[in-house]
Amino acid sequence: MKRRSLLAGTAALVVSAAFAPAFAQWQPTQPLELVVHGGPGSGNDVMARQLTTIIEQEKLSPVRVQVSNRVGGGSTTAAAYMASKKGDSNTIAVFTIVWVTDPLTQEAATNKLNDLTPITRLIEEPALIVVRADSPYKTLADFVKAAKEKPGQLKQSGGSITSRDNILRQLIMKQAGANWVFVPFPGGGERIAAILGGHTDIMITDPSETGEQVRAGKLKVLAQVGKERLQTFKDIPTLKEAGFDFQDIPQTRGIVGPPGMPPEAVKYYEDFFEKLRKTAGWKKFLADNQLLGVDEKSAESKKFLVTYEDMLRVVLKDAGAKVVR
Amino acid sequence: MDIASGMLHGFYVALQPTNLLWCFFGCFLGTVVGILPGLGPAATISLLLPLTFKMDAAGGIIMMAGIYYGAKYGGSTTSILLNIPGESSSVVTCIDGYQMARKGRAGAALGIAAIASFIAGTVGVVLLTLMAPPIAAFALSFSSPEYFSLMVLGLALVVLLSGTSLVKGLLALLVGLWLTAIGVDIFSAQARFIFGQQTLLGGIDFTIVAIGVFALGEVLSSIDGGEESKMLPVPRGLRNLLPTWQDMKDCRFAFLNGSVVGFIIGVLPGAGGTIASFISYGLEKAVSKHPEKFGTGVVEGVAAPEGANNADTGGALIPLLTLGIPGGSSTAILLSALIIWGVHPGPLMMTESPDVFWGLVASMYIGNIMLLILNLPMVPAFAQILRMPVYVLFPFIFGISIVGVYGTTGRMFDLGLLAGFGFLGYMMGKLKFPTAPLILGFVLGDSMERALRQSMMMYGGDFTALFHRPITATMLVLAGIVLILPLITYFNRVRVQAVAEGGEA
Repeated sequence: MKRRSLLAGTAALVVSAAFAPAFAQWQPTQPLELVVHGGPGSGNDVMARQLTTIIEQEKLSPVRVQVSNRVGGGSTTAAAYMASKKGDSNTIAVFTIVWVTDPLTQEAATNKLNDLTPITRLIEEPALIVVRADSPYKTLADFVKAAKEKPGQLKQSGGSITSRDNILRQLIMKQAGANWVFVPFPGGGERIAAILGGHTDIMITDPSETGEQVRAGKLKVLAQVGKERLQTFKDIPTLKEAGFDFQDIPQTRGIVGPPGMPPEAVKYYEDFFEKLRKTAGWKKFLADNQLLGVDEKSAESKKFLVTYEDMLRVVLKDAGAKVVR
Repeated sequence: MDIASGMLHGFYVALQPTNLLWCFFGCFLGTVVGILPGLGPAATISLLLPLTFKMDAAGGIIMMAGIYYGAKYGGSTTSILLNIPGESSSVVTCIDGYQMARKGRAGAALGIAAIASFIAGTVGVVLLTLMAPPIAAFALSFSSPEYFSLMVLGLALVVLLSGTSLVKGLLALLVGLWLTAIGVDIFSAQARFIFGQQTLLGGIDFTIVAIGVFALGEVLSSIDGGEESKMLPVPRGLRNLLPTWQDMKDCRFAFLNGSVVGFIIGVLPGAGGTIASFISYGLEKAVSKHPEKFGTGVVEGVAAPEGANNADTGGALIPLLTLGIPGGSSTAILLSALIIWGVHPGPLMMTESPDVFWGLVASMYIGNIMLLILNLPMVPAFAQILRMPVYVLFPFIFGISIVGVYGTTGRMFDLGLLAGFGFLGYMMGKLKFPTAPLILGFVLGDSMERALRQSMMMYGGDFTALFHRPITATMLVLAGIVLILPLITYFNRVRVQAVAEGGEA
């Protein structure tokens, strides 16, 4: 028994010694800069600050992690900043779906997400399709049927035309052969006010954004977007179960490094976020905000983002946006 | 829980020693943040958020809200003293506030700003206490057509803001409307007027335009006018530094106007304190017996907007606390903070978390008193800043402006823009163009365009549909009257003149 563990120990030593040159340990040498593209108080900024708090509480990082807001042009200022940090592995950024859509639709946004170094995908965001509680539609099929009967009359409140709400609308309309209007509002509050006031008919939202309205009986959920049903909305069918079966384009967030980040640094961050995923703080964060955790390393994330971009390109064109790349 | 027992419970929560301390801390921090241009309440709350994770929800929200409304008290300080708007909601305060300071009445302006803030802030909280749920229902009845007509009414007030020349006022307004169109349009995802500049994709930050055109433009004009050697007059003696009874009497209507306009506009998600301050200033000028004196340093011109942006707080908290709808960036962070503390902001919050709801409302009565006590004694101290000789004061204004802008965005490019807008402000002054319409166009233009396009999408492009909505129709007609009035008086004057000349002949 003793001998065996000794043997195993020696073997492990030998193995690690053999691999040491290939996986030279990399460690951050100065405070980490965690870049977000939103200003202080934006959704991503709040998330990044919660991340740093978890990292500090669990003592996950040997150095301090500082949030740095690189605001401007959606994600473009932050992406350009990351591109300028080539060779500096002490800088990482939180990416979201706009890091993919901005370069697709803006001539001036030249730094594509996949030209940087995607490190890991952390989150997929589910969505709810909601109507006012007193609305005549009981299922998504009801709504789609009504939209077919009076094309262009029903209204959806949402964000920019490149946002996920509009992308999902395009996908549903395409499959069902229906047509309704998309009215953009810049702020989440205005969108909810529009549907609560009866000025629009339907809305696709984050569960954290409208969950309370649903609980209070002001809004009702027709369907949910995501691979499986959320715990809080066990009785609500997913899009697929409701009969709308298409390749979804999920809203996702993750971590990206500067272009050409060396593999040992990528490995360090992969392990780092693996540890983060196991913390109670992270699990609470996901639960509080009704988000789904994703466990993907750099290679898988890259592959995901390539197909993701291809799908988006088609959908954005359908949505009426000018695709430049 | 009815209102009376709710308030009783609320004061029980808010008067707990720790919560009193949090309230004071929040108000104090808010005042400081308000004074510093560039660092706004939204950014401050977000930076402090990680430190509050372990706090209980009532204490946390009492402190965070203190920062939010405290900043509105502090925002007027630099507007009045240095012509640098500390917050976007204090831009209008510059117009008459800074002129008062130049006449040696800085103390009176600062004092009246604090008093107006206190009165209107308290009225806002009273209205929040008494009528939150019905007012929330009213807010929801507002939709894009109503917003559009509200903005049109606001712009019509430009005519009143524009001073001597209507044409110059409208030109300045158009430049403001154009500047606000820069950036990516959310309806088409197309970039407009960015000239290939990545940094312009997100549009130009409001602080850059306001600080450039107002503060830097003013300093450049003063230097050009040979003011280097002069010092601004600052009277000696505490009594001469505070508002007089006459000032208070002159502001009677402004206090009321600021309270009501600020509160109503605050309730609407997507309008906000900046718009409230502009509209109440315009209204004050419209009903004034001496509208021509506005812009030369009248005390009502400070009281109305400063009141409005404080009453706005009470209004803005209504959709947040009763519906879970944040109207602006500050309330959006308060919402995420509540979620972190385990409270569910929404229609059920009043019944499920009465501690938080009533505790916060009660703390705001206390907080407003604290802020008045905090701010009034600082007035004489702040007024001393103007004792600095001009050759120190002007570089000081430049320094604060640059730090303020860089602190907001962190981009060198924006400092270039700041210089450009400073020059624009200087040229406008030289050519006798009013600057206020430019700023108003910049503030309202974006929301107005969006509201119009949303309305057109909702009604399939039928403009007449707007007139089927009573509130929209009323406001559009009012805007029409405001636009036509100066023309009528003009023609009247011409006719009277013609008659008089005819009689002589």
